[in-house]
Amino acid sequence: MAVSPTASAAPAPLPWVARRTAERGLVAAAGVLGALGLVAVHTAMYPAESWDPVVAGAVALAGFLVVHAALVIADNRGDEVLLPVAAALSAVGLVMIYRLRPDYAVRQAAWISLGLTSLLIALGTLADLRWVRRYAYLCALTGIALLVLTVLVGVERNGARQWLVVGAFTLEPGEIVKLLLVAFFAGVLVETRPLLTLPGPRRWRADLGRLGPVLLVCLGSLLLLVFQRDLGLAMLYYGVFLAMLYVALGRLDYVLGGLVAFGAGATLCYHLFAHVRVRVDVWLNPWADAAGRGYQILQGLFALASGGLTGAGLGLGHPELMPASYTDMIFPAIGEELGAIGTFMVVALYLLFLGRVFRAAVQADGSLDRLVGAGLGAAFGIQTFVILGGSTRLIPLTGIPAPFLTYGGSAAVSNFIAVALLLAISDRGARAAADGRDAPTHP
Amino acid sequence: MLRRTRNVGRLLAGLFAVLLAYLAFVQVIWGPQLAASPQNPRLALAAERIHWGRILDRRLTVLADSVGTGPLQVRRYPQGAAFAHVLGYRSRRYGLTGIERREDLALLGLPITDPWEVLQEAFGRTPEGNDVVLTLDAGIQQAAVRALGNVRGAVVVLDPRTGAVLALVSRPGFDPSAVDAQWAVLSRDASAPLYDRATQGQYPPGSSFKTVTLTAALGSGRVHLADPVRCPEAIDVGGALIHNFEHEQLGQISVLQAFVASCNTAFVQIGQRTGAQAVAAAARAFGLGQPVPFDLPTSSGYVPPPRDLGARGLAQIAFGQGSLLVTPLQMALVAAAVGNGGTMMTPFLVSQIRAPDGRIRQTFTQRGSRNVMAASLAGEVAQAMVQVVQSGTGTAAQLPGVLVAGKTGTAENPHGNTHAWFIAFAPADRPVVALSVIVENGGVGGQVAAPIARQVLAAALQIQSAAAGRP
Repeated sequence: MAVSPTASAAPAPLPWVARRTAERGLVAAAGVLGALGLVAVHTAMYPAESWDPVVAGAVALAGFLVVHAALVIADNRGDEVLLPVAAALSAVGLVMIYRLRPDYAVRQAAWISLGLTSLLIALGTLADLRWVRRYAYLCALTGIALLVLTVLVGVERNGARQWLVVGAFTLEPGEIVKLLLVAFFAGVLVETRPLLTLPGPRRWRADLGRLGPVLLVCLGSLLLLVFQRDLGLAMLYYGVFLAMLYVALGRLDYVLGGLVAFGAGATLCYHLFAHVRVRVDVWLNPWADAAGRGYQILQGLFALASGGLTGAGLGLGHPELMPASYTDMIFPAIGEELGAIGTFMVVALYLLFLGRVFRAAVQADGSLDRLVGAGLGAAFGIQTFVILGGSTRLIPLTGIPAPFLTYGGSAAVSNFIAVALLLAISDRGARAAADGRDAPTHP
Repeated sequence: MLRRTRNVGRLLAGLFAVLLAYLAFVQVIWGPQLAASPQNPRLALAAERIHWGRILDRRLTVLADSVGTGPLQVRRYPQGAAFAHVLGYRSRRYGLTGIERREDLALLGLPITDPWEVLQEAFGRTPEGNDVVLTLDAGIQQAAVRALGNVRGAVVVLDPRTGAVLALVSRPGFDPSAVDAQWAVLSRDASAPLYDRATQGQYPPGSSFKTVTLTAALGSGRVHLADPVRCPEAIDVGGALIHNFEHEQLGQISVLQAFVASCNTAFVQIGQRTGAQAVAAAARAFGLGQPVPFDLPTSSGYVPPPRDLGARGLAQIAFGQGSLLVTPLQMALVAAAVGNGGTMMTPFLVSQIRAPDGRIRQTFTQRGSRNVMAASLAGEVAQAMVQVVQSGTGTAAQLPGVLVAGKTGTAENPHGNTHAWFIAFAPADRPVVALSVIVENGGVGGQVAAPIARQVLAAALQIQSAAAGRP
C-alpha cells in the first residue's frame, strides 16, 4: 500500500485530486479487471446474447468510483484499501455469477449498486456511532423481532436458510441482524465495561447481572436460529459475541466458559436434531452417500481438485454440477475455473480486508469505535471462514453468504453498510492520530 | 483493549492461514488423485469431447479403438469377446470396467496440462487420448480361447520371469461393444458371462494345492521327497474316513510318488507331519488368501487360520479341499513362483502409455516381487512337478521336445461335478511361460484341464521363442 492513511492525514485539507490517490488507482484497477472478466465470459460463453449484463456489471463497478468521489468530497481520511478490496471481491463474484447464472448477473449488478447506495446513506447518517449507545436495545429488539418473524412466516430456500418474502423480493434477515447485534453488543458492553473491569475481587453474580441483557439476546437469537436450522448464522453470532466480550472485558475465563458452553450445545444439537447429525456425518464421510446427501460436498471437492493449480479457465470447467454453485458453493466454483491461484487470490483479498479492518479497530478513537470495529471484523472473518471452509469440507458445510462474493441483495446491503461504518471509524482514528502528533505533549 | 483487538485479528488470520494450507492440499497435492475418482462426473463429460485412445496388445495389435466424435463416438473391439473381461466395456449407461476403467485417465489423455494442447482445443481441435499397450499377446489369448472352447472356466498365462500377463481368459465371454444392447440378457444369464472368473472366481483348488503342501512339507525339514508314506484307499481322521479318488490304493510309496500320483490319503499324513502352521504359512507366502495386487480387481480367496483347523481341517486342506478357496490368477502365480526359483513376480497388464503420435509417455517393466521360498526348495518342487507330467496324473500335458512341469487338480465342490484344474510352467529348467487352467464342473483335471494346458503351452512357447528371436 503506497500511501498509508495516517501518513497522508495532514492538518490542512489537501486539494481534491491529491486525496485518496491510492484508493482511486486500486478501485479503478479492480473495476477494469471485473469489466474485462465480464467481457471475457460474454464473448466466450454467450456471444449471441445481449450485452446487458456486461454493461450493468460495468456500471455497478463504476459505482465504486462514485463512492470514492464521495469520500474525497467528504474529506474522509480513513483506510484507502477497504473499498478497493470490496470492489475486487465484488468484481470476482459478479464475473463468476455471470458465468454460472447469466440470468442473475444483471440482478447482482443491481444488488451491488444498492449496496453502494446504502454505503453512501450510511456514511451520511450512521457514521457518528453515538446512536449505537443510545439505541442499543432498539437494535436488539429489532434483531430479535426479525428473527421471530422469520421463524413465523419465513420461507425455506436452498435447504436450510430462511428468507422473508416482501412483495417481489426475498430478504435474508440474518445479514441485517448481524449488524444490529454488533451494534447492540458494542453499545451495552461499552456501558458495562467500566463496572466489569474495576480492580478488586470479582463477583460472578454481579457480573452475570450486568451482562444479563447481552446473554439473553445472544441465547435468544441462538435458540431462534436453531429453530430455523440456520447453524451457520448461529455459529457466526455466537463467535461475534465471544470475540466482543473478550475485546471489551478481557476475561479469558468468560470466553473459555463460552467455548465450553458452545461445545456442550453443539453436542446436544448433534444428539437432538437429525439435520445436525446429517451435516456432521456428511462432512466426516461424504462418500458414504455420494449420490445423495454427500453429493454437494463431494462435488465441491471434485471441483477444487479438477481445478488444480491453474484451473480449467473461465467457462471451461463444470461448476454447474454443484448445487447452489452461485451461492454457497461459489468458492469451489472459483477453485475449479481459476485454480488454486484463484482461490489463493480470493483468500488473500479476504485476509487483506481482515487486516485493514483490525488495523482500523486498533487505531480507532475511543472504545466504542474500537469495539464496533472489532465486532465487524470478527463478523467478517468468522463468516468468511465458515462458508469458505464449509464449501471446501474443511469444516461442516452451513450455508451463509461469502461477503461480497455470493449472489444476494441483503448481504450486499449489510456488507457495504459495514464498510461505511469502518470507513468512518478509520477516518476518526486517523484524525485523532494526526491531532495527537500535532500536540507535542501527547505521547 | 488494544492488545485484545489485535489478538482477535491474529486468531482469525490464523484460521485463514489454515484455510490456505488446506486449499493447497486439496487442489494441488491430493487434487490429481481426487479428480481421477470414478465418482467425478467431469470425467464422463470430458470423455464426450475427447477421441478415446486405443488399447493394444504387446505386438501393438489393436484390441480396442473408436470411431466418430462427441456423443456419437463408438468403441470397437476388433477381437470380439476374446478380451472382454480384460478390456472391460465403456458404456454411457453402465459405466466402465476392466482396463477401460483402470486406464480411463490415460485413454482420455487427462489432465491436459500442455498449454499448446489446451490452446488447440480452444480452437476446435478434438483432443486425442493416449494409447494403452498391454502385456497380453493376442496370439496366446486367442489360443487359450480356442483351447477352452465352449465351457465355463478360465485360463491365466504369465511370463514367470517378469510377471507380465500374456493371456487372461474367462469363459463364457461377451461382446464388449454390445453391452448396452444385450445388458438385460448378459446381466441375468445364469452362467454369469460378465463375471471375470480369472481374477475374481473363487474355487477350491483340489490337488493342485498339493504343490503348496509339498513346499511347506519340504521347507519344514520334517519331510523329504524320498520319505516313505502309505497310500491306503481310505484313512481315518478323528473318526471320519477320507477316501482316495476312485478308491485308488498304492500301498507303501515315497512322498515324491504320492505327489506324482496325487494320493490324497498320503497327503493327509504329509500334512499331519508338516503341521497346520507350516501349511498355512506356505499358502500365505504364495499370496493365497489375499487379493493379488493387480491392474484389475481381484478376489482374495480364503486360507483358514491354522488355529481354527482341527485334525480334520488340516487333513482336508493338505489335499486342497475343506474351506480353501483360490482364484485362477493366484494358482498361475503359484506355478510361476515355483518355476522362477521361488521368486514370485507381481503380475501386471499395462506395459506402456503412448501418446497419439506414438511417443512413449510411460513404460512399466516390473511391479516388484515377493520371495516365496529358497531356490533349492523351488528346484525340488519343480522336479516333482516334472514327474507329474512325465509319468503321473498330468501326462496329457506333455509336449514334444519340451520338458513341462505341472500339477493336476480335481476339486470337489457343492455345485455338481468336480472342477478340473491344471497348473504348469515350461520349459521346466528355464520357464518362459506359466499358466493355470480351470474348467468349472469339467471333471478330472488330468483328463480335461491338462489337454487344454498343452494346447495353450504349445502356442505360448512358440510365440515366446519367436518373440525372443526378435531384435
